[in-house]
Amino acid sequence: MSDITLYHWEPNANSGKPMLALMEKGVPFTSHYIDMLAFDQHKPDYLAVNPQGTIPAMTHGDRVLVESTAIMEYVNDAFAGPDLMPGDAQDRWRVRWWMKFMDQWLGPSFSMIGWSVFVGPMVRKRDPEELAAAIDRIPLPERRIAWRKAINGSFGEAELAESRRRVALGIALLEAELGKRDYVGSDSYSLADINIFNSTYSLPLSQPDLAGRDKTPNIMRWLKRVYQREAVAKTWAMGRTDLAHRYSLIMEGID
Amino acid sequence: MATILYHGEPNGPSLAVLAALAESGLDTGPNAIACRAIDLLAGDRHRIAGLTETLALDFAVEGEGPVLVIDGEAMTESVFVAQYLDEVAGGALQPRDAYAHWQMLMWCRRITERCAPAAAFLGLRAQGADRLAAMSDDDFATLVAPIVSEDLKQRWHDTRTGAFPDAADTDSRAKVAGAVDMVEAQLVDGRDWLMGPLSIADFETYGWLMGMVAILPEAFADRPHTAAWLARVRARPSVQSALARSATGRPEAAWAPGPEINRWG
Repeated sequence: MSDITLYHWEPNANSGKPMLALMEKGVPFTSHYIDMLAFDQHKPDYLAVNPQGTIPAMTHGDRVLVESTAIMEYVNDAFAGPDLMPGDAQDRWRVRWWMKFMDQWLGPSFSMIGWSVFVGPMVRKRDPEELAAAIDRIPLPERRIAWRKAINGSFGEAELAESRRRVALGIALLEAELGKRDYVGSDSYSLADINIFNSTYSLPLSQPDLAGRDKTPNIMRWLKRVYQREAVAKTWAMGRTDLAHRYSLIMEGID
Repeated sequence: MATILYHGEPNGPSLAVLAALAESGLDTGPNAIACRAIDLLAGDRHRIAGLTETLALDFAVEGEGPVLVIDGEAMTESVFVAQYLDEVAGGALQPRDAYAHWQMLMWCRRITERCAPAAAFLGLRAQGADRLAAMSDDDFATLVAPIVSEDLKQRWHDTRTGAFPDAADTDSRAKVAGAVDMVEAQLVDGRDWLMGPLSIADFETYGWLMGMVAILPEAFADRPHTAAWLARVRARPSVQSALARSATGRPEAAWAPGPEINRWG
């Protein structure tokens, strides 16, 4: 039995990153699905693993690792298998730059829009008292504020507009990047591709005005190349919601 | 083509990269990386000539930090530039063990994501905003004209107009104090450096905290391990050589718009 356990939600955004990295490296792991929409991540069993209540988290023996991009770097460093960082130091710098740009600038904007149209409406169907109690259990104050906004649908128009601006700009920058190289930041498949793919795999469906065959041909070529990887198919098969179902829809839409 | 490091006064991210450069030894010899001082608060970073790839300069999450230019490509984000220098030189400033490396990355991320925006906010308000406020409208418009990122440009405008909200002040004080607490707890076992061996984490953390001692002294009160560590880092020859590049003689008081304070969550 594997001494690695990954606590994750869907193969999407942050949870998908270590799932896909482990799969690419061929590292067996025990999957522990955390139902984010049922607030599993704030329940005592999970808080005993990661007191901050954020997902994903990974245990390797008695080590506990958090933060999806840093977990990916650990997975790449700690295990044999294909190297998911380029050999050239300047390429590695570029890979790290893109991952930070996604994690701290573009990703939160994708996330705000995703929460306002998907996560918020899903959890609003639940009993209000149960929801209030669930929010009170969230350890990090910033996350409490974010969840309240998502549940109450109280993102301000100005902040949503800023997120939409960033998403449009981010997609344009990614399109330009993939016109320079085969993959993000380098000419080989790397952690940056895994990172960014997990937030952009459904762009042609979620942002049809910004991404698609005609508007972003470089992104579409790249998506197709990444989608065809065996590890992606295996990882997406672990999904339980409609998010993963988008995989087949996108594949049908790519030449 | 020449490799050039454009750096601000040796504070914050510029200090971290200058120290890492000196540790790497890449600042000496026939192929030495040339260092050019620029005035970040004059907007010099947006007027670097001869660049062929400006993406990382235009959209650096770090804001106004140092820029390493190799073959026309602008490289930014101080931790990653320090990693680059270290890796080219053979890798003495990053743990080899995968778990220890993860710990260093996590540490640096806590500093760059939580402490750096807070320190830049407090530092700029105390020791930078007046200079921008004193500029004429025309001069300021000229300064910000070449800034590509709209959100970074907004931070310049906010600085000039004195838009420093109370909530951000409270939050920033707590985050800097939290970073000091983190340092103190890390050193309590008697280690000399944050990760055990000297690493990029020491320089990145020192760079952001050095100027906070005068601005937020209460955060450093009764923190003996932190005080000794600050002195140890400062005494390091690489840090001394970085500080010696100061044009003003007060590098710890030099600030420019930094990373944005987390928009949400």
